[in-house]
Amino acid sequence: MNETAFRFGRADHLVGLLGAPASASSRGEVGVIVLNAGLVHHVGPFRLHVDLTRRLNASGYPTLRMDLSTLGDSGASGALQSREQQVRTDISDAMALLRAQAGCTRFVLIGLCSGAENAHLAACTEPSIAGAVFLDGYAYRTLGFRLRHYAPRLLQPARIARFLARRMRKAASPSIGAAEPSFSVEFPPLPQVRDELADMLQRGLRLCFIYSGGVSYFNHLRQFRECFGRHIATHGGASVHFLREVDHTYTLVEDRQRLVDMIDAWLRAQWP
Amino acid sequence: MTMATDVETPVQFGGDRSLFGLFLPASRRGAHAVLLCPPLGQDMIRSHRIYRQLARGLAAEGVPVLRFDYFGTGDSAGENIQLDWHRCLTDIGTAATELRTRSGCDTIMAFGARLGGSLAMQASASARFAKVVAWDPVLDGAAHVARQDAMQQALLGDLNRFAQPRSSMIDQWCGFPVPAALRQQLGKLQATAPAAPLHLLDSTPSGIPQRELLLAGGATVTPLRQPTPWDELERIEVAILSRELVEQASAALRTAH
Repeated sequence: MNETAFRFGRADHLVGLLGAPASASSRGEVGVIVLNAGLVHHVGPFRLHVDLTRRLNASGYPTLRMDLSTLGDSGASGALQSREQQVRTDISDAMALLRAQAGCTRFVLIGLCSGAENAHLAACTEPSIAGAVFLDGYAYRTLGFRLRHYAPRLLQPARIARFLARRMRKAASPSIGAAEPSFSVEFPPLPQVRDELADMLQRGLRLCFIYSGGVSYFNHLRQFRECFGRHIATHGGASVHFLREVDHTYTLVEDRQRLVDMIDAWLRAQWP
Repeated sequence: MTMATDVETPVQFGGDRSLFGLFLPASRRGAHAVLLCPPLGQDMIRSHRIYRQLARGLAAEGVPVLRFDYFGTGDSAGENIQLDWHRCLTDIGTAATELRTRSGCDTIMAFGARLGGSLAMQASASARFAKVVAWDPVLDGAAHVARQDAMQQALLGDLNRFAQPRSSMIDQWCGFPVPAALRQQLGKLQATAPAAPLHLLDSTPSGIPQRELLLAGGATVTPLRQPTPWDELERIEVAILSRELVEQASAALRTAH
């Protein structure tokens, strides 16, 4: 392990851990930036980002796990910016650090939940970004989703009973989930996201979409094609996975190991 | 109130620079500094924000602060499975030395939540703490182990989390593997009065189990009005936030007495 902690950014307000590759290779040109998952600081849910970046370092990729402005250990830049501007500038600062410290020329973003949203945002406009891994990123409920979701429930009284019991528990304890950090992310309209993904692929980006069974809006691999169309779903630059049995934040040790294996294998296949 | 420099410096220290920390200096040299000892496992992730708030508040009062990660946790070197109780105690001593060097203060107080409090109490002699402030420390290790095992079983069957109940061959508690040695070490953990004066911050609904043993030995306690949901399955990924805790901990740590 060869990691160095940095303060960096336009206002020296960002904090991140830069991991150097275990050995020099052409993979060293590709810097991997891991973004915050929700409000969790840069070690990631259950230390996922530490496990992931260290594995990628062992595979030869420089990495940076970081906190965006005001999250985790990072402060505010003091600049008056929209959230979108701030995210783009933070990621630009991260790329500058990896360029200066590790000689990277291209970058891959990895994000879970709101991290996927931020990765998408930056990948839309930043020409140095060569790829992204979206963990529970954008997807939309389709007719197929609704059929798969509701049809089995209507045939299973026990599930209906469990659903009603959950509702009653929540009603009895309204403080649960109230005013607390949650996983919910407001998605932009589907046509916009579809056009943006098509544009990324047309520009040569490689995209890896991994959905878990822990989100309420995705329930089958087929749904990706239902959402975004055949052109995107079958594009050679897109790789789509659905891990039905795992939860949103990969709580179990074995699920995180599996995810790390998948991302490592995908990166090595794309940038050998 | 003295303004803090407000800039935390990431530091890597210890043998092979294997420990990660964030040092927050004060704008003036004070009489003492504070070491924040994190809890373990998911408690550490959940408490990150409140530790940062506490550090900033103390630095604003003129108290330099170091928060850090034990070997095998957070940004420090080591894998999760390498977490070890005795290594944590050693790391606290290493961090205290680092804080003395960086702050110029020989007098160090320690703060810790849950197992971080238990560790700070045990390390108080070797790390030469002048005072320990422990928030809901674990004083009965066997009960803690049983509680974590029960929570893990409940988590595996939680259909709000998983599409189907899960099973696992890996010994783990709420997302983190449990090294066999650590399980044994925690199982033997008992309430023992630390070498330094102890102040308890108690946010448990029915009082910290076995706290009377420590109170009889001279410890003081501040009950907190807001209970902390440490072991509620529905909240294991919700940040622990408490203005009351920050205020009370700051009050207990801001002066050298």
